[in-house]
Amino acid sequence: MIELRGITARYGPVLANDRLDLVVHRGELLTLLGPSGCGKTTALRTLTGHVRPDEGRVLIDGRDVTDLPTHRRELGMVFQNFALFPHMTVRDNVGFPLMVRGVPAAERVTRVAEALRLVRLEGHADKQPRQLSGGQQQRVGLARALVYRPKVLLLDEPLSNLDAKLREEMRFEIRDVVTRLGITAVYVTHDQEEALALSDRIAIMHRGRIEQLGTPEDIYARPASRFVAEFVGLSSFLEGVVEGIAEDGMSVALGGGRVTVPALPGAAAGRRALLFVRPNEVELLPADAPQASGVLRARVEAVTYLGDRMDYRLRLEGGLALRVQQDGGARLAPGTSVRLRLPSGRVRALSVADT
Amino acid sequence: MRPLARAYGRGLWEARAVLGYTILLSLTLFIVAPFLMIALRSVGKGWFGKLWLPPQLTLEWYRWAIEVGNIPEVLRNTVIIGVIAVAISTTIGLFAGWAFGRRRLPGKELLLAVFLLPLMIPSITYALGVARIFYALRLVDTHVGVALAHVAVCAPYAIMVLSATFEGLDERVLEAASVCGAGPVRRFFHVVLPLVMPGILASAIFTFTHSYNEFTLTLLTYGPHTVTLPVRTYLAVGDGYWEITSAMAVLMVAPSLLILALVQRRARPERLVGGFKGA
Repeated sequence: MIELRGITARYGPVLANDRLDLVVHRGELLTLLGPSGCGKTTALRTLTGHVRPDEGRVLIDGRDVTDLPTHRRELGMVFQNFALFPHMTVRDNVGFPLMVRGVPAAERVTRVAEALRLVRLEGHADKQPRQLSGGQQQRVGLARALVYRPKVLLLDEPLSNLDAKLREEMRFEIRDVVTRLGITAVYVTHDQEEALALSDRIAIMHRGRIEQLGTPEDIYARPASRFVAEFVGLSSFLEGVVEGIAEDGMSVALGGGRVTVPALPGAAAGRRALLFVRPNEVELLPADAPQASGVLRARVEAVTYLGDRMDYRLRLEGGLALRVQQDGGARLAPGTSVRLRLPSGRVRALSVADT
Repeated sequence: MRPLARAYGRGLWEARAVLGYTILLSLTLFIVAPFLMIALRSVGKGWFGKLWLPPQLTLEWYRWAIEVGNIPEVLRNTVIIGVIAVAISTTIGLFAGWAFGRRRLPGKELLLAVFLLPLMIPSITYALGVARIFYALRLVDTHVGVALAHVAVCAPYAIMVLSATFEGLDERVLEAASVCGAGPVRRFFHVVLPLVMPGILASAIFTFTHSYNEFTLTLLTYGPHTVTLPVRTYLAVGDGYWEITSAMAVLMVAPSLLILALVQRRARPERLVGGFKGA
């Protein structure tokens, strides 16, 4: 278990971590996700001990390690640029953490072989890192991080330097290894797709703080703020006026119609509500579809062919813009009038504000 | 293209090639000629007047150079002084290079300029000052003294080479080592030292060659016990025996060529300077 308690870290005037609190449970893979400069790397470096926080404590398995130097924190780490020792063979790279810990040579041999088998690099033990491809080098990095069975595995954008196809393969490989070893892992990335694919939980970071913490499903389906909704997945935002609040939620008027969304605290008739919907969850209906709750009129402004789907930019009555993505179907020409349905349960209110 | 034009074009190309090679050859001769001259004179006997080549070849002058010129002892002095100069320069270079290459140092540019100053000042000016101080400190005519004078011009090279080496050292590789559990001492011996070794070697070769060739600074600090090869050769010129002087000059060049061959073959200079970066 890892715990960050009220971590504050400054670089001069820049507040990189702002009273950050985070608990990573045993055996879980938690991802710190956010744009560059959000403080995710600083958070990771306070964990490793390469950054000393101005305030706050770092606990690993209940032990306060804030004042412990990096080499005594018993961590395993995979780096973005691999950071292998260029002057050592693959075998010596992987064996390094064991050598440092004084593991006898005979045991070292078997454990290095074991670790290399885990990452499927058995035949490459005597090569130099520079003779390996990027993906292989990163697997050496993973083997080196895991070889002495640390309690905690840290991964700092481990796939960013690999090409797209390899990145996807390695994603599953890392997930698989972490699951098999039952190790506690903290994964840092700016790639939301990667985060959704391999995390048990995701912490979205923004301006040195955690904006939302939850399972990938939570984050994707129920973003807590506009920042999260924008950062993870495609989003369309709509502004409407709250008409009234009932048991099944609040009714919001927009674009010549109304939708019912779960009520937010502080919502009251007359206040403005910011709604959000995923472009692929909006249903396009023919122009003569019957009027109903959640059905709005719009005109096609632009259409983009994306191979497996069509991307429409629509203009609602009253001028709101909405992006819709649909699988296949007929291509609607710009200028066509359509109706669309915002399915209840898929549209959510993010915030309310006074006009 | 018509045959005539083609022939003309080819002729032009050949003319260019001939011209190019002629220039290249002249340049080579220009560089090599003085050395060839010395080499020939060192083995020639009875070579006077307008003869193109020496009428007789001999190794006699080398025997003279070694026995009378006392070359073995002079060579020993040169090497001892060189080794001391290398040791001191590399030590200075390591610390300064670490500071310049690894840390954000306020006033770094200025400090570097100060360290490089001995290279800008004319050797003789510097040597006069050094000699004055060394007489007072009784450092004249000691191996350490002459070596210390050499350090003034050797250390800047060591600092430059090693600064570049440390700059090329990947910070993240060191971080990786610490995460792996290596404390500062292990990090230094298992990671830093092996990675900067090529730079240290390069620096040692540069500084040794420099000390070995140094003339002006030696001239003002040497004594009967610390005659070095360049000084001995220079003194022989004064004695007027051109053949013996030539033999000495050739003997002096040999180790330099050996080092050059070593650097080219084994170490690959482009890899030495700057060390290597992470894979």
